[in-house]
Amino acid sequence: MNKTLGQRILDKVNVPLVLWVLALLVYGSIVVASATSEMAGGAGLLRRHILGAVVGLVPLALAWAFDYTRLRGWHGVLVTMGALLLISPRLPGIGYEAGGATSWIQLFGVRLFQPSEPAKLIFIVVTAAVIASFKGRIDSPRAVGVVGAYVAGAVGLILLQPDLGTGLVFVAIAFVMLIVGGMKGRYFAIAAGLLVVATFVVLQFGLLADYQEDRLLVFVDPSRDPAGAGYNLAQSKIAIGSGGLTGKGLGSGTQSNLHFIPARHTDFIFSVLGEELGFIGAVTLLGLYLALLLTALAIATSSRDLFGALIAAGVLGMWLFQILENVGMTVGMMPITGIPLPFMSFGSSAMVTNLGAVGLLLSVWSRRYGA
Amino acid sequence: MPTVREEHRSRFGVLGIVIIVVLSALLVRLWTMQVLNGESFAAQAENNRVREISLEASRGRILDRNGEPLVTNRSALAVSVDPSHDDVRALLVRTWTEDTADDPTSSEITEMFGEIADLLGTTPADIYTQVTDVQQEALRPRVIAIDASMEAVAQILERQTDFPWARVEETAVREYPNGTLAAHLLGYTGVISQTQYEQSDEYAGYEPGDTVGKSGVERQYEGVLRGDKGWRRIEVNASGKSQGVVSEQAPRPGNDIRLTIDVEVQRVAEEQLELALAESHRQGYTSAKAAAAVVLDVQTGEVLASTSRPTYDPAAFLGGISTAEWEALTAKGSEYPLNDRVVMGAYPPASTFKVVTAISGLEAGITSENSTYNCTGRWTEMGEQWPKRCWKRTGHGTLSLRAGIKHSCDVVFYEIGYELYKRELEELQATSRLFGLGEKSGIDLPGEVSGRVPDAAWKKRYNENYPEYQMWLPGDTVNMSIGQGDMLTTPLQMALVYAGIANDGVVMKPHVLKDVLGSEGEVVRTIAPETLHDTGVSSEVLGVVERGLVDVTETGTAKGAFAGFGPTVAGKTGTAEVKGKDDYAWFCAYAPAEEPRYAVAVVVEQGGHGGSVAGPAARNILAQLLGEPIETVRATDVSR
Repeated sequence: MNKTLGQRILDKVNVPLVLWVLALLVYGSIVVASATSEMAGGAGLLRRHILGAVVGLVPLALAWAFDYTRLRGWHGVLVTMGALLLISPRLPGIGYEAGGATSWIQLFGVRLFQPSEPAKLIFIVVTAAVIASFKGRIDSPRAVGVVGAYVAGAVGLILLQPDLGTGLVFVAIAFVMLIVGGMKGRYFAIAAGLLVVATFVVLQFGLLADYQEDRLLVFVDPSRDPAGAGYNLAQSKIAIGSGGLTGKGLGSGTQSNLHFIPARHTDFIFSVLGEELGFIGAVTLLGLYLALLLTALAIATSSRDLFGALIAAGVLGMWLFQILENVGMTVGMMPITGIPLPFMSFGSSAMVTNLGAVGLLLSVWSRRYGA
Repeated sequence: MPTVREEHRSRFGVLGIVIIVVLSALLVRLWTMQVLNGESFAAQAENNRVREISLEASRGRILDRNGEPLVTNRSALAVSVDPSHDDVRALLVRTWTEDTADDPTSSEITEMFGEIADLLGTTPADIYTQVTDVQQEALRPRVIAIDASMEAVAQILERQTDFPWARVEETAVREYPNGTLAAHLLGYTGVISQTQYEQSDEYAGYEPGDTVGKSGVERQYEGVLRGDKGWRRIEVNASGKSQGVVSEQAPRPGNDIRLTIDVEVQRVAEEQLELALAESHRQGYTSAKAAAAVVLDVQTGEVLASTSRPTYDPAAFLGGISTAEWEALTAKGSEYPLNDRVVMGAYPPASTFKVVTAISGLEAGITSENSTYNCTGRWTEMGEQWPKRCWKRTGHGTLSLRAGIKHSCDVVFYEIGYELYKRELEELQATSRLFGLGEKSGIDLPGEVSGRVPDAAWKKRYNENYPEYQMWLPGDTVNMSIGQGDMLTTPLQMALVYAGIANDGVVMKPHVLKDVLGSEGEVVRTIAPETLHDTGVSSEVLGVVERGLVDVTETGTAKGAFAGFGPTVAGKTGTAEVKGKDDYAWFCAYAPAEEPRYAVAVVVEQGGHGGSVAGPAARNILAQLLGEPIETVRATDVSR
């Protein structure tokens, strides 16, 4: 079968995926522009945001061009790389502490990136390979144990930073992949039970940093410390709620412009969107996410092998959980953690990682009929 | 080989459901918050954004009858402590829980406030007391000093690291251009008290920490002087920093008021009272410390001057009075300088009351101008076992009622009093009340007392627990007839009696407010003269009394005090006996006798004789009113 070049390229491109991502990038840039307009150096921040998206095209292209099936053979290298990335902030001299956690690395005093972001992609690939090796049937304690060991290892390293939110992302990714990977319902039940017990133990024995415990408890009872951890949540809810149906208009959010919303261009970008663009703006965003996630799901189902399907499902799980956690925390449904909103939040590490994930999806998509 | 899709269709279905569920949950939440509860959140956002500050209204000035300022406003630098500052809060929590609250000299308080107290010339304990004043709004800065020295202010501003909780702000305070002049009448201001604050009807719209009038005119006309607060709504950011004004309502300044007081007469009255006290001391009455004088316009009831001794400095209350100063003003033995004796002092009126006895006797028809009496110095009409003495032990001999007034002969009035007693009509009490004794005059000043006109019913009630003392006896009326016994009057009340005699028997209601001025200085409200009592006493009767009173100043007990005085003065001396104390000196008068305009009453507690102590003071006050020269009079009258 001979195809024209155009057809061959189109064949490799998932047009809806590209469209939704582009739409999200534009939408995100608009909201970041509004959120940073009143900030010192706001224009510079917007440029950096867009630059992040451009830089992200590099991992996107690389992952796209690379045959994902060959990644299975790189198991050892990937596990090592992932572990190194997760440990790196803890290495003397290159860790950088911000917000109570050492989740950045720096070299020569320059803050570079959050290594846990690219580590998510490595985690997706490694876990996909492990799950795929059980050929779509995870029904023995051994199989569960092996997968559980990988997940626990990764999450354990993250909690060293300690970054509870990212740890939860890893758990969520594994959860979604295990649905596709064929883990039996009873194991999900056991895992859920273990999570509850673990949470209890962690709280009971004070294994969390004070600020983390505060955030969790404030989530349960926002009035606990309205001026401290609860303040952020209260202000975010006021911002979103006060946006009403149509919002106060871009750049006119008082909660945002008067600095009531913390981290308004990064973790709390959705609060700005909710305040300035209202319910309509929020629904538009959720609609775009729905389209993106269903496209990812379609790519997963189109995969020619389980490994590819699992990679796509992992990416899907990563985005879905981050959307749930980020939007959820701004409306008081989830505890406050430092999880960015995919394609919307300011922050290059996450932006580059998410575009890398798009590359992985395209890699799976473009090889659905064989390499 | 089946495709992944075919093999795991149901798993992808589950994933799709998870996506839908998650996004739906968020959607429902957003719908609830933004569409259903949007307005409530919008209100919260507005509340976040906008802070309301109240704008103080400037307090109205108090002027004298000619527009001379008595109380004005000026701006001052106030040093205050921010009670919400962490250091202060920590100190308060510690001192409160460690029971050092009762011991404001504790080392911790000294450590914190010691240095600033030295700079401001106060004590750490005083600062601590101000800061812990629970009557003020929790977050309102506590003023600890007004008019601190420039050096102290500079130090506090420069050393913000040492005093991070201290602030220096410009504030408006009362100014007293005449110092302590008329301090009692004008009153002082201070922070609203808990009791005042809770009287919500009178103090509606006040906030804890607001300044209010505490006494005198400041208190009486608080509602006129205060004005209405304004507000300014400002937009603030999350750090509370102002981003601009949203809306504003300017405060309405309080009204200026003009009093009936004449500042020149007031000044003379105060000087004369001081001189009277000095004269008492010179005459050997060294316990004389307190005195009062009041001047009325007999036709209108306007108070032209009103003064009380000892006095105080209303400026001491600016920014809160120190504990030591407050104690000095209120302690036992301080002679209570804050009390306005003109309306709060109740004294036996002594011989100044004899005019009422004379009027009562004349009205009853039991005496006349030329009725003759015989004074041997000793009077035993009530029986040998109840002898009464005239102050003149050797007796006045045979004399008329008119001469009785002139010489202040006690026997003449014992006779009249005894006759009145025998009629059993309590006519003396009735006449007293007719002239306003025994009741509050209703003057527009706080704290007025009613004095006392004793009668049978009163005595019965008063001695409820002592049945043997309950009966009204002839001696009670006889004592009352010379203004002793249980009779008590305020200086204002005696001035009203003389004003009533002067004004053809019509007692005008006394008042200190003349008019209220609007923002352009125009008169918006005037106090019209009001009759307090029309006694209905005939002009014949009043004429008899007047002739007697004129005799007093010309050839009688006050001839020394009024020697060489031009206008005719109708006056009466009084020397009241108070158990365990030196005699109280009284003088009451009105002038000019032919066409009366002014009535004056002067009392000097433990000052000795009316003629030689109170009389000269009254003379010079009348001199100022009538354009006569003020002279130092050394009268030697030791009569009553």
